[in-house]
This record gives sequence, structure tokens and C-alpha cells, in this order.
Amino acid sequence: MSQLKELEKKEASFAFGKKERKLLTDPLNDNNPITVQVLGICSALAVTTLLDKAIVMSIAVVFVCAFSNLIISVLRRSIPKSVRMIVQLVAIAFLVTVVELVLKAVNYPIYVELSVFIGLIITNCIIMGRLEAFAMANGPWKSFLDGIGNGIGYGIILIIVAAIRELFGKGSLLGYQVLGDWYTPNGLMVLFPSAMFVIGILIWIHRSWNRSLIDVS
Amino acid sequence: MHSTRSTIFFVLVMTTVVALVLAFLFNGLKGTHERNEIVYNKKAILSAIENELGESISDMSDDRAEEIFSTKIKQTVVTVAGDEVEESYIENRYKGGKAENIDLKKEKKLDEDEKILPVFEFNTDSGEKYYIASVRGSGLWDDIWGYIALEDDLNTIAGVAFGHKGETPGLGAEIKDNEDWKSQFKGKKLYDENGDWKSVYVRKGGAKNPIHEVDGISGATITADGVTEMLDRGLKYYESYFKTLQG
Amino acid sequence: MGELANIFIKSAFIENLALAYFLGMCSYLAVSKTVKTAFGLGLAVIFVLGITMPINWIISEYLLSENGIFGMDLTFLRLILFISVIASMVQLVEMVVEKFSPSLYNSLGIFLPLITVNCAILGGSLFMVSKEYNFSESVAFGLGGGFGWFLAIIAIAAIREKIQYSAVPGPLRGLGMAFLLTGLMGMAFMSLMGIDPGAFNG
Repeated sequence: MSQLKELEKKEASFAFGKKERKLLTDPLNDNNPITVQVLGICSALAVTTLLDKAIVMSIAVVFVCAFSNLIISVLRRSIPKSVRMIVQLVAIAFLVTVVELVLKAVNYPIYVELSVFIGLIITNCIIMGRLEAFAMANGPWKSFLDGIGNGIGYGIILIIVAAIRELFGKGSLLGYQVLGDWYTPNGLMVLFPSAMFVIGILIWIHRSWNRSLIDVS
Repeated sequence: MHSTRSTIFFVLVMTTVVALVLAFLFNGLKGTHERNEIVYNKKAILSAIENELGESISDMSDDRAEEIFSTKIKQTVVTVAGDEVEESYIENRYKGGKAENIDLKKEKKLDEDEKILPVFEFNTDSGEKYYIASVRGSGLWDDIWGYIALEDDLNTIAGVAFGHKGETPGLGAEIKDNEDWKSQFKGKKLYDENGDWKSVYVRKGGAKNPIHEVDGISGATITADGVTEMLDRGLKYYESYFKTLQG
Repeated sequence: MGELANIFIKSAFIENLALAYFLGMCSYLAVSKTVKTAFGLGLAVIFVLGITMPINWIISEYLLSENGIFGMDLTFLRLILFISVIASMVQLVEMVVEKFSPSLYNSLGIFLPLITVNCAILGGSLFMVSKEYNFSESVAFGLGGGFGWFLAIIAIAAIREKIQYSAVPGPLRGLGMAFLLTGLMGMAFMSLMGIDPGAFNG
């Protein structure tokens, strides 16, 4: 085998080669699930009132996204076409139920606070989107990484929004008072519509910084 | 191409695997879930006397909460008529047979003569006694509830803790989150100097009577009215029992 | 009857699934570029919500709860069963729409099957369980919620159609603007909070 081919072969088999790293980093910027692809916003809003809720939610989404990608990728050649969508949904619902049961045992107070929104991870378009766009056509390890990448891309936005809302809405972060008594909490931040404003502004900032994403409609 | 038979086979296998794994996980974790729920409720009750305890509830470990409950809290269950209820009777309705197991949501639907009420008597190391009552009412979106701690004169409020099912964060949810608002209740009295029932009124715009009223919450009038109603009705259920304690 | 009307009004206006809880945002933002598509999608959502709620209620009460036919607590299967019911109903709706209005079917395109993952649908069923509604209350909640979502998406589509001709700064154009608009509409709807529908029934 020629030198070039040998190098290529080495790259392809290295688990963390350039392509694999791109799977992890793409969703953080160019292909961010929330600000660019506009997916999975639903749960994002109710869950970003407090930072700890957002963190738990992000971890849950990374887990479900990565493992559902893995499962579907492993099964991709065996899934009968007629039931493709249902199989994907059941796989996701299965993983989300696992997350729910584990969370209820490990951190009951946060489970109670998140309640309905854990179940709504199933309808988080990001997860379904990645299954269709990637896991159905790629190998297990790559799909797993893609799931992690997208999950983290989603989680970062969630955490930023939650940090802003908790800091300005209550003067605290993770429950610890950060801003002193001089700060009168901005009540609006705690209410749901503020999440929309914060994301809208984040998109504005993201697109100003990365001009290639401007909507030419 | 997949035949119908292999499709059905695939679906059946997947369904079975999924159902089995989840059933296994569910049964394995059930015990933990139940204990978590009980400790969660206990911590909620303890938050009514957080100041008197001198410990932070949010930082408290589950074991510590259980320890306080078993050593310092005496649980009693009473009827609206003022009589104590046997543990065996409670066991019929709620597994565990203790005050902590009573589900006030279910009790709310019963008539006064059928209701049973939990009473938590807290004895401090220095010999002070507090009585914690449990009340439940309606907020704006859904149910709200409260644990009201009374000093041993059974008239003065020592502390409160509120919870809600779905009130709006920043508005109705303030009854749970806003420490300043809750601290207003301390020192308020349920009866006036003549011994007449007054309860505590949450007044929109600011309290006028320093003994029987507290300030309202901006933007959460309906929830606040729910609190007033809940205290007035819910605490009155305990009147007969409290009289037996005083008499 | 008054109680049901209460729930309908509450879920349509005061607890609007789109503007108070921000559920179903993906399709909401993607399909609201024209009023025509928004209208079609909104109707489909009302229908799917109205049908899946009662079915999911029956499943929850009679199959999964301890009082059901299996006599065991099977609530851990709830998510899987709910989403399967929703997926099947949506496929049904797809077939019906394709048959009776091929033009609508084409203009909605992929967004019709996407109703399956519309958080508002699953969210509605999960809220119904958490609020412990009975059967008729679930139906009222489903129809009301659907109707409210329908109104919300038409409203924002109407605004976005008009805004196309305004001078919005580049990076804010399109998506960013839609978010801000939705936030403002959400605030407007918050003013409806505190209205006690019971007051209208006298």
C-alpha cells in the first residue's frame, strides 16, 4: 500500500481522528442545535429558570441522544422500513424512561421540579433529527460521538440561558447568592417569555459573530 | 426488503426487551423511590420549623431528616371532632399508619366527619414544644398546601412552609420560594384578644393589621387569596383537637 | 358542563400550550411563515390532540394503573405507549389529509408527520396525567389546548407575513425576530392569567 493510503487508513481507524473531533465540535458553533437548527426549544424554556435544572436536563439529553444514536446505528440494517419511525420513537422513549427512573432515585427534588419536561425529551426534535440524519447511515462509534456532540451543543445553550435567567432573575447561581442585597431581582427573568428573549438575543449575537449564518429570506 | 413476518418478529422482540428491562429497573428502584418521597415530605414538614431547628433543610442529609423525625417529632392523627385516631385505622387507609403517610389530597375530598388530620409535635432539646398542622387548598393553576408550625399556646405562628403543584415561578410560586414573605407569618396569631377566630389574612397592597395580616404578593393575588382561604378553613379543622390539648 | 367549558377556556387562552408553556415551538416557528400553512397545521394539531388525549387517558387509567385490568403498577410503560398512540394517530391523519386535500398535504410536506414529535401533543397528554383529569375533562383539555395552539400559530404567522417588509437588522432577521415576537406574545398572554373562567358562567 502506498504511503498516502496507509496514512488515510490510519486516520480512518483512529477513534478520535479529525472527522470524529468535528462531530463533537460542529454542533457547538456552525451547526448548533438551538441557535442554528432551531430544534428542541420546547423543554428548553421551562427548564432554564434555574441553573441546576438546566444542567440535569443537559446531561439527560446528552445521554439519550448519544445512546439512541448508538442503538439505532447498531440496528440500522435490521429495522424494517415500515416501522422505522415507531422503532426510533420506542428507542428514545425507552431511554427517557430509564433517565426518569434513575433520576427519581438519585435526586428526587429535581425530579419533582422537572416533572413533565423529562418525558418531553422524547419530542426533542434534536434527538429524532440526529437519528434520521446520521445514525441511520453511519457506524455505531461515530453515531455515538455525534449524539454527544449535539447533546453538548444543546446543553451549552441551555446552561447559558439558565445562568442568565437565574443570575438576573434571582441574583443567584446554583442556589448560591452571587449578587448581594443591592440587586433587586428582575422578576421578568423568572417568567417564561424571558427565555424567548434571551435566546433571540443569543441568536442575534451568534449570527453577528458568524456572518455566514444570516437568514437571506 | 422485509417480509411482514420478519417485521412482526422484530417488533415483538424489541417490545419484549424494552418491557423487560424497564420492568426490572422499575422494580429494583421502587424502594428507593418510595423512601425518597417520604424523606421529601418529611423535609417539607421540617421546613416549617427550620428556624427553631437551627439547621438548614436544603443542606440536610436524608438520614438526618429521618433522625430528627424519629427522635424529636411525635406524630398524632386526629379527627375534626378532636379525637385521636388509632394506628390500625390509619393503616387501612394509608400504608405506614402514621401521620406522615396521610395524603391530604385524598382527605380534601372527604366530608368533615370523615377527615383525618396529621399533627406533628416537635420537642426541642430545651423543652419547647411546637405543633405543626397540615393544610391544603387551591392556587391559581392547581393545588397548594402548607405546613403551619404553632407555638405551644396553639395561637401564635412560629413558622410556615408552602408548596404548590403548578404555580408560576416568580408569581404564585413565591409562596414557596420567597423567604421574606414567609417570615412575615412568624408571630401572627390565629385568635384575637377575645378568643375569637381570626386566622391570617393575606392582604393585597399591604397588611393593615399587624397581628392577623401579612402583605400580599405582586401579581399573585389569586394564589394569595388561596393561601388565606386554605389557612382559614384548614387550620379551623384542628380547633377541637387543640382545645383538648389546652383544656 | 360549566366545569368543562372552564377547562376549555383555561387551556385555550390562559394556559395556552404555545404561548404560556412554549410547547410545540419547532413546528410553530418553522410553519408560521404564511398564514395558509399555519392554518392547516393548526387544524391538524387540534384534531390530533382531541383524539390522542382520550385514548391516552383510557390507557393510563385502565391499562397502566393498579386499578386497571393488569392489576399492577405499569406506569413505567407510559411514555412508550403514549408516543406510540400519537405516532399511529398522526399516520392516520396523514392518510386522511392525503385523500381529501392533496394540495394541503403537499404544502404541509414534512410537517405533517412532524406533529408526532410536537411537544404540545405529548405535553398535553402528560399534563393531563399530572392534573388527574377525568375522561370528559381530558377531552375538553385536548380540544381547548389544540384550539389555543391553533390561535397562537395563526397569530404569529400573520405578524411574520407583515414583518417581511420591515427593515430588521441582518443577524436578527427571520429566526431571531420570531423568538422575540413569541416572547412578546407570551407576555401579552400572561395578562390573561388570573382570569377566573368561572366568572363568566355566573
